[in-house]
Amino acid sequence: MNASDASRNARSAVPWVTTAARLGLGGVLIAAGGLKIGNPSESVVAVRAYELLPDSVATTVGYALPIAEIVIGVLLVIGLMTRVAAVAAALLMLAFVFGIAWAWANGLRIDCGCFGGGGELGAGQEPTYLVDILRDFGFVLLGAWIVRFPPGRFALDRPLGLAGMDHLTTEEENGDGQGRPGEVGA
Amino acid sequence: MGKGDRAKSAREKIEQQRAADRVRERRKKLVTYVTAGAVALAAVGAGWWYAASRSQSEQAGEALAPITVQPDGAVVMAKQGVERPVVDVYEDYQCPACRELERVSGPTLKNLAAEGLAKVVFHPITIFSQEPTKSNSVRAGAAARCVTEGAKWMTYHDLLFENQPSEAGEGFKLDDLVAWGEDAGITDPAFAECVTSQKYAQAQLAYSQKIGDEQKIEGTPTIKVNGTAIDNSVAFTPQELRQTITEAAK
Repeated sequence: MNASDASRNARSAVPWVTTAARLGLGGVLIAAGGLKIGNPSESVVAVRAYELLPDSVATTVGYALPIAEIVIGVLLVIGLMTRVAAVAAALLMLAFVFGIAWAWANGLRIDCGCFGGGGELGAGQEPTYLVDILRDFGFVLLGAWIVRFPPGRFALDRPLGLAGMDHLTTEEENGDGQGRPGEVGA
Repeated sequence: MGKGDRAKSAREKIEQQRAADRVRERRKKLVTYVTAGAVALAAVGAGWWYAASRSQSEQAGEALAPITVQPDGAVVMAKQGVERPVVDVYEDYQCPACRELERVSGPTLKNLAAEGLAKVVFHPITIFSQEPTKSNSVRAGAAARCVTEGAKWMTYHDLLFENQPSEAGEGFKLDDLVAWGEDAGITDPAFAECVTSQKYAQAQLAYSQKIGDEQKIEGTPTIKVNGTAIDNSVAFTPQELRQTITEAAK
């Protein structure tokens, strides 16, 4: 195997990495939203526990967050509007990183409420801010990868023609033997 | 026309064709994008609306059922002669979820008692074991125990939740606790002294201990209907709470 083979292999792995990232990030969002959606009041309490937003805004966010997570997660998993969904997911995760860091910096003792719960720590439970921040930052990176290399394999964006003009698409089309129309007579 | 010219015009035609295709393609793409985006946004909107409507509070009626403060600090709200179903509410003045429960489902509990459909018993306990939340909770709990008139107790109880402090620092300060008593219409001169001396702090702690041991409360808020704890997703959904309690009456 020479150097150019290796780089081609690496390049053909990229869409698969994107697919894996989509499934990972989307799956986590669906799980997080699904665990919260049955109990909107608890979600409101969890948002309020951060003491970051005024009460009325916190209520709205608490009601909207679980369903927003699920919708963004589904879009990522099926690969529809992949890039937009990935931007939204990455921003959401960044907001969570900021919120948790805020709670930590302000000396709050809360549970992040990431996967349900009202933000209360159980008896004898310690906050896990660092772990939560690192985890969510990892998801920001996954989101960034998807934004950079959308939409990956098995994405609805492709049959719908939404895959965009990024260079990988054209390369793949060449690989599929379709070639660029302009090159036919060349 | 030379060979070169013909080739050039053919190339131009192809180029034009391709440009038209590109425009059509872009338009189609835009329509697909807008449609998918609109559906996604509509789903979020519908989900938000559903969550908000599930948490929609009842309108509290004007008249409350008679409220009596028990010697042990529990507070009974029930129409005369209503003994079942018993709805026990275990809550902590410092607990944010309890505040939310009062905001969302408080009116339902008041209405059910006023309609003679339930005997509601409030158990204000101190669930926190760490500072500063523990002291905050004990101060508020001890202060509420100074209120002996039922209706005023309820007003004071509601004011405590409305003014719940952050869990991150000292709150429910003595001066505030006295001032909210005046807001609640408490005129008894002994009240301020009772609050500032924290006369019932020990009683509040002992009662919390007793309730914790006997009722196996895992957290606040906990609502028990005829002795059985109900799920919080029911407790926080006024419609379902009403249904669960009225069914327990049968």
